[in-house]
Amino acid sequence: MRPVPLAVGRSVPRRDAAAKVTGAALYTDDLVVPGAWHGVTVRSAEPRARLIAIERDPAFDWSQVVFLTAADIPGENVVALLTDDQPVLVADEIRHVSEPVALIAAPDIETARAARDATRLRTEPLPPVLDPLASERTIARYEIVRGDVDTALAAADLVIEGTYRVGHQEQLYIEPQAMIAVPRPEGGVTIHGSLQCPYYVHTALGRALGLDPARIVVIQEETGGGFGGKEEFPSGLAIHASMLALRIGRPVRMVYDRHEDIVATTKRHPAVVTHRTGVMRDGRLVAQDIDVVMDAGAYTTLSPVVLSRGALHAGGPYLCADVRIRARAMATNMPPNGAFRGFGAPQTEFAAEMQVNRIAEALGISPAALRRRWAYRAGDATPTGQVLKSSVAAVEVLDRAVEASGFEQARAARSDHRGVATFAGHEGAVAPDGVAVVGGGPRFARGIGLALGWHGAGFTGSGEAYLASIAGVDLTAAGSIRVLTDSTEIGQGSRTVLAQLAADALGVPVDDVEVAPIDTSVVPNSGPTVASRTTMIVGALVMRAAERLRAEVEARTGRPFADSYAADVRAHGPARVDERFAGFPGIEWDAERYRGDAYPCFSWASAVAEVDVDLDTGEVAVRSVVQAVDAGRIVNPVLAAGQVEGGTLQAVGYATIEEMKVADGRFLNDRLATYVIPTALDAPRIDALFVEAPFLDVPHGAKGLGELPMDIPAAAVVTAIHDATGAWIHDLPATPERVLAAILAAEEAGA
Amino acid sequence: MTTGMEPIRFTVNGRPAAVAVPGGRRLLDVLRIDLGLTGSKEGCGEGECGACSVLLDGVVVNSCLVPVCQAAGHEVRTVEGLAADGRLHPLQAALLETGGVQCGICTPGMLMAGVAFLDAGAAGSTPANVTPMDAAIREAISGNLCRCTGYARIVEAIRLAAEGRVGAIAAPGSNGAMAAAPADGMSAPVAPLHATDVPGAERDPGRAISGDPGADSPRTLAEAYALLAEGGRRPLAGGTDALVQQAAGVARASRFLDLSALAELRGIRLDGDALILGASTTYAELRRSPLVAEHAAVLAELAAVVGAAQIQVRGTLGGNIATASPAGDSLPVLLALDAEIVAGSPRGERTIPAAAFFPAYRRTALAADELVLRIRVPVVPHRTVAFRKVGTRRAQAISVVVIAVAWHWDDGHWRDVRIALGSVAPTPIRARATEAILEGSAPTAEAAALAATTLAAEIAPIDDVRATAEHRRAVAGRILHRIIRDAAGW
Repeated sequence: MRPVPLAVGRSVPRRDAAAKVTGAALYTDDLVVPGAWHGVTVRSAEPRARLIAIERDPAFDWSQVVFLTAADIPGENVVALLTDDQPVLVADEIRHVSEPVALIAAPDIETARAARDATRLRTEPLPPVLDPLASERTIARYEIVRGDVDTALAAADLVIEGTYRVGHQEQLYIEPQAMIAVPRPEGGVTIHGSLQCPYYVHTALGRALGLDPARIVVIQEETGGGFGGKEEFPSGLAIHASMLALRIGRPVRMVYDRHEDIVATTKRHPAVVTHRTGVMRDGRLVAQDIDVVMDAGAYTTLSPVVLSRGALHAGGPYLCADVRIRARAMATNMPPNGAFRGFGAPQTEFAAEMQVNRIAEALGISPAALRRRWAYRAGDATPTGQVLKSSVAAVEVLDRAVEASGFEQARAARSDHRGVATFAGHEGAVAPDGVAVVGGGPRFARGIGLALGWHGAGFTGSGEAYLASIAGVDLTAAGSIRVLTDSTEIGQGSRTVLAQLAADALGVPVDDVEVAPIDTSVVPNSGPTVASRTTMIVGALVMRAAERLRAEVEARTGRPFADSYAADVRAHGPARVDERFAGFPGIEWDAERYRGDAYPCFSWASAVAEVDVDLDTGEVAVRSVVQAVDAGRIVNPVLAAGQVEGGTLQAVGYATIEEMKVADGRFLNDRLATYVIPTALDAPRIDALFVEAPFLDVPHGAKGLGELPMDIPAAAVVTAIHDATGAWIHDLPATPERVLAAILAAEEAGA
Repeated sequence: MTTGMEPIRFTVNGRPAAVAVPGGRRLLDVLRIDLGLTGSKEGCGEGECGACSVLLDGVVVNSCLVPVCQAAGHEVRTVEGLAADGRLHPLQAALLETGGVQCGICTPGMLMAGVAFLDAGAAGSTPANVTPMDAAIREAISGNLCRCTGYARIVEAIRLAAEGRVGAIAAPGSNGAMAAAPADGMSAPVAPLHATDVPGAERDPGRAISGDPGADSPRTLAEAYALLAEGGRRPLAGGTDALVQQAAGVARASRFLDLSALAELRGIRLDGDALILGASTTYAELRRSPLVAEHAAVLAELAAVVGAAQIQVRGTLGGNIATASPAGDSLPVLLALDAEIVAGSPRGERTIPAAAFFPAYRRTALAADELVLRIRVPVVPHRTVAFRKVGTRRAQAISVVVIAVAWHWDDGHWRDVRIALGSVAPTPIRARATEAILEGSAPTAEAAALAATTLAAEIAPIDDVRATAEHRRAVAGRILHRIIRDAAGW
């Protein structure tokens, strides 16, 4: 038997990288589709209105285009997701700006755009609801109660209150939404697109097109980033392209430009989170009363699930006997918000961590020491009553981040002159932009901030059991080994990681394992590529399927799989084993009462950020972020570090510069020049550190990783700004404008 | 649709190419659609993301902002041309090694920006200290947005390649028509590339933008004037504004007047007591000109914070002036330097002070038949100039406030004070009331405070998507205060 090195734990090279560096990788808009027409979308301009008529300029030659409205939808006028409230096209009432109202296709893109320009919507305006706090329509509501929070608050030495507001954040994948629909000769449609969840698209197409599912094929092309933005949104776009393609009998391309992508697609939910926290003078945490309001936007999309995750993470990873978390998602006439890395947790964990840092200051206790005292240990119970049995590494990640960043030393060094001056003012000191500062008063101030977080791995509650995902491994007639899942490669490395897991389970070199293309006619439904679930959930299914395949083959051949599978295929033909998710042992969830085991396990992270604040302009340069993470066993260290580094920078953008400006229900900064994300010069040094506390109910010990790095760095950054300036900022992002206003307020208070 | 057009000829990855398309078509569309080279990606269509970066004569540009007429006769290099002789380019190999690739959509553009940096000489250097190297790399790729990686592994890959520490990796088999084309042009003669060579291009004509503007590229100023006089043409220099506006559908031109071939608009020279900058002078040229460094170093300082590499090599001083945006970064500097703008027409030349050149929002003093020819910056001995741009981020940013302050010391007192600002009024402005406060005074705390408050009151900013008026007033006053503190040394 040949010794085969284990693939798990090694930085096996990314499979898709070579094609990506040569330009050979084909993304949706790179596909040449002979005879394809071009589809465009007619969109609403008002946040709320009754649609009276769609008027077409008689001067335009409409014979050269196809024009479809809600009346042309072959099936139900529904983008199927959690509920059926979002229409494919507006039939009656416009509920947000940029809502799709009609579709146009033409042989060339110019003509399609000209037709769009020649279309007018006649409407009767209705009063919009733009403030979630003023909305009377609830999309979802949860209450999580443990103990008696009112009594505990009354008995506390100190009750600290805080209200924190976070705004929209745009996913800003660099490849805009893109979809090509091709009619199938026997009826039905094949979709080629940039997407995360092939079977979401598949289901939605069946409902809206009224098609037999067997006549629908969804193929994921190389996808230029998703971050949640290609979770639910592509379903509607695929329906649009398919409607046009089926009507014309030709392929139809629909590729958004950046402007359309920003105005029309989902964003991270804005939220208002209010905390009342009861503590004792000696630092004990005795009560948490938390209220969460999210702006769902005009339709349900995934808001109930986003809110659920937000609520379940709202207290932070801290043991508290008396907790009340009340959360609601309210409908407004804003474009619907949706999935974005972190999925509700970044909003509520920002508030939770800001609150802890303010309490630490009020009590005069080190924020690290306070967290070490409060953080969950194995055996502790969460507000839903979930007992954290194992793989609880909150204290370990905290200690690792605090130690690696020199957090306590940096705090001690600055505690004497907090909020005054720092390195500027010393002859020859160097400012962060490398410009020498000579003499003078303070120009910059440096500060450091800490946060601790958690992220439940996989779908919430009974979600995974409900999904009942299937993953397979097969031996093809040609003698190759293939992993069969619908888990999409969107840059995170799933194609590589799933091959590594299958290789070790089969005992073969990783290069011997292929990963099947993401094509619903080939791969089973292993669930959506979301919720940090691919490595943990789908990876475990792949390993179990592989182990069963290996056992089958070895039983037939009496020899190790690696040495005998080729002969086995020759002798017995192809073989395939599918594994269906069957739940984790001892996991019970009561969705009615919101009690029980919300997640099979949690991942943990601690972040320390260091910033320089320009005291004249309020500009914040984030110098470094150290993020220590426990995501269980790390399958591929380079890919895992890439997740932490990229997620951290998205969080730094969320904390500092990414602000979606809104007026009258409309996004104002709807271009890449005005919605800014960090460049290489804005990016801090990022140190990704791993603490590995394996999850023992999966064969590889891996937990969810992708979203976790996004959850808490914003609180670390904003607390570092406080450390530098003495000013607390409660709203995200901490733009120069907010920082300067806080500095000015502090100056006035001191004057 | 393309019949009757003279083919535009250039080379792509060492192969001759010819396309019969309107001269105003974006180079990006020509590469992707007409030539089937889809490695270059479109992420924004306005020069912000860098995913479409290619090399034009070795210089990294956003191909979405280059009209193909400006590629005529030049050498274009794309990601498909990086691998040579069956081996990956060292930077491609380095990206594989460090894990600098995730979703891959920014990778081709990132590679081209990185290769431009390496080819500019970084490859030979052995930095004693990694920090300046790290900063230089980050600056070199600051026009290329990545949403996946946090940039660290990309920076590391470029450093490995610069230090020659990358192992050779064989190029994988390619499914692209052009991907294996030798880049050195020294191997066997290569077949010319025509649109018709590309499988599928002829069968998918709808992707081509039929409404692309045509372009005229006059060789002499007289020809340019004649074409301008005919009307219906929009002058275009580096394209960094014109093509953005074209794509956004504002100020859509039916035909471009491409000024890039006019020798009369080029060059930097000293003429007596003035520095003469041709209108086609790019920000990159300002940054590296010894004459600018000696006589008006602030112009190099400002050029370094305009856009990022791809914009700096294309954007021109004349274009910034003619566009007349209140956020045009160079304009306050020109005002503070008492620069003059020389405009020309068939009627002759005239010289207009910068301070009188911008009468209203996005308006200039140019007549319809005039072009900006050059900028005259008086060389004033012993003048001090301070400059600061506050933008929305640290690179590739539109300004929130730009300020330039020029003066000279007269026995410890401010003399000939010029304070000019951008993004705080409908036009770039001089802050004359604030100048009067400082003129003749010593840089005392009292004078600084009075100047700062006067400036905050004197400017007329608005609320827009970048900042509120209130923030701009506060920032303008505080930056001026800092400039005074720095100047005074307290």
